[in-house]
Amino acid sequence: MAMDKEELKRKIMEFMEKKSGAKSKVYLKDMQRAIPDASPRDIKKAANELVQEGKLEYFSTGSTVMYGIPGKGQPVEQKG
Amino acid sequence: MADIKKHDTPTVDELKSGPWPSFVDDIYSYAEKHQKQSCFDLMGQLELSYKHKETHWKHGGIVGVFGYGGGVIGRYSDQQEKFPAIWAFHTIRVNQPASKWYHTSLLRKLCEMWDHRGSGLFNFHGSTGDAVLLGTVTEQLEPVFFDLTHQFNMDLGGSGSNLRTPSCCVGKARCEWSCLDTQAICYDLTMTYQDELHRPAFPYKFKFKISGCPNDCVAAIARADCSIIGTWIDDIQIDQEAVRAYVGGELKPNAGAHSDRDWGPFDIQKEVIDLCPTQCMYWDEKEKKLYINNKECNRCMHCINVMPEALRPGKETGATILMGAKAPILEGAQLSTVIVPFMRMEPPYDTLKELIDKVWDFWMENGKNRERVGEIMQRVGLNRFITDILGLKPIPQHVREPRSNPYVFWKEEEVPGGWERDLAEFRKRHPA
Repeated sequence: MAMDKEELKRKIMEFMEKKSGAKSKVYLKDMQRAIPDASPRDIKKAANELVQEGKLEYFSTGSTVMYGIPGKGQPVEQKG
Repeated sequence: MADIKKHDTPTVDELKSGPWPSFVDDIYSYAEKHQKQSCFDLMGQLELSYKHKETHWKHGGIVGVFGYGGGVIGRYSDQQEKFPAIWAFHTIRVNQPASKWYHTSLLRKLCEMWDHRGSGLFNFHGSTGDAVLLGTVTEQLEPVFFDLTHQFNMDLGGSGSNLRTPSCCVGKARCEWSCLDTQAICYDLTMTYQDELHRPAFPYKFKFKISGCPNDCVAAIARADCSIIGTWIDDIQIDQEAVRAYVGGELKPNAGAHSDRDWGPFDIQKEVIDLCPTQCMYWDEKEKKLYINNKECNRCMHCINVMPEALRPGKETGATILMGAKAPILEGAQLSTVIVPFMRMEPPYDTLKELIDKVWDFWMENGKNRERVGEIMQRVGLNRFITDILGLKPIPQHVREPRSNPYVFWKEEEVPGGWERDLAEFRKRHPA
């Protein structure tokens, strides 16, 4: 059953908040594993929208991309 | 304007003394001319790295401009107090035009923009194919992106867990051997998969490369997760007159490419026929005629390369689709494997896209973090990958060795008496 987008976003945020204690950046894959009943593509779209809204942020390791909550863990910008 | 500070760089300067043009010369002459502190700082940090024998770059962090999950590779100096002009030195990947053709006026404008907004250093091109703008600070990222998209009609390329910028050879525009309109395919794939290019969706990177013929000028077979290589299914076109001209020495082999040395007269038997990997060619000395058993040809292109005026790829053209190449990070380096030996390539390339969607669906669902398609193919096995995931029928082209079945399997109807024959009767005649 297709999940409502808002519902999906809420679930992603829930997962990210829960995770953020131990690990501030996660792979898209980790989200997809945490929410097995939504399609990976929908999760990607929802996560992407969350980035647009500023609730999540992309983080590059240099070769791959991870997701994080702005302000938690290592910041995207490393000035100073 | 603030004072420009030049650092003392004796070790780096050593590089100027070699026989080759040096980047040190280049960067310094540019820095002097444009009074670029970032270039001086760059050389200063390089000098320090040579001294410490370790890098002073940190990377990671920033991924792109707003809304993009790729295109910018964040680079920060860990010596920001010493070299403030390069506290950040981000790389921007710019999606190159198909076949990397630019109008000089665009290049001029691009250079002017980069003089102004960045370090002025370019890399034409990175191994993925993008034009790479080297070195700018975070505040300039959005303005650069605005200029690229609004003035130059260009876009950022792919980086991170995205589809990387597709790239192709010069194709039909400049090459007589091209079996594909590589530029059209490259453009079409780039436009179709914009979302995958800019928004991270994959376990790791994914690359398309399109070569017009099996000479594979973009090295698609070695570098691309999905290599699209032009080929033909009919016969190699032969101009017997021209073959005789090569044999008679009127035409230079390899279009004169090896003429810097006298290699002696052209020997078709030694230089072409004997080198054919499938031994499918025959030169009749008496008749002065070349024969090719096209069924056995494996498209190595050697004969065509040696005698370009006499031989040409066939007229009925399409592409071979291969998958799974990658560089050696986790497992060893791997070449692509043939998935579809021949596919007709006409817009809108639906057959190809259906195939790609299947691979992506499976890989996105089952791929481990940082696992390339080539690795997942190894993990699940080529047989399962082809039949279960792509829904294709296994065919001999998928198999390298053995190309024929070494065993004989009998079917019941082929055995006299079938499986149910009377053993007692048999043993009467043949005691055990």
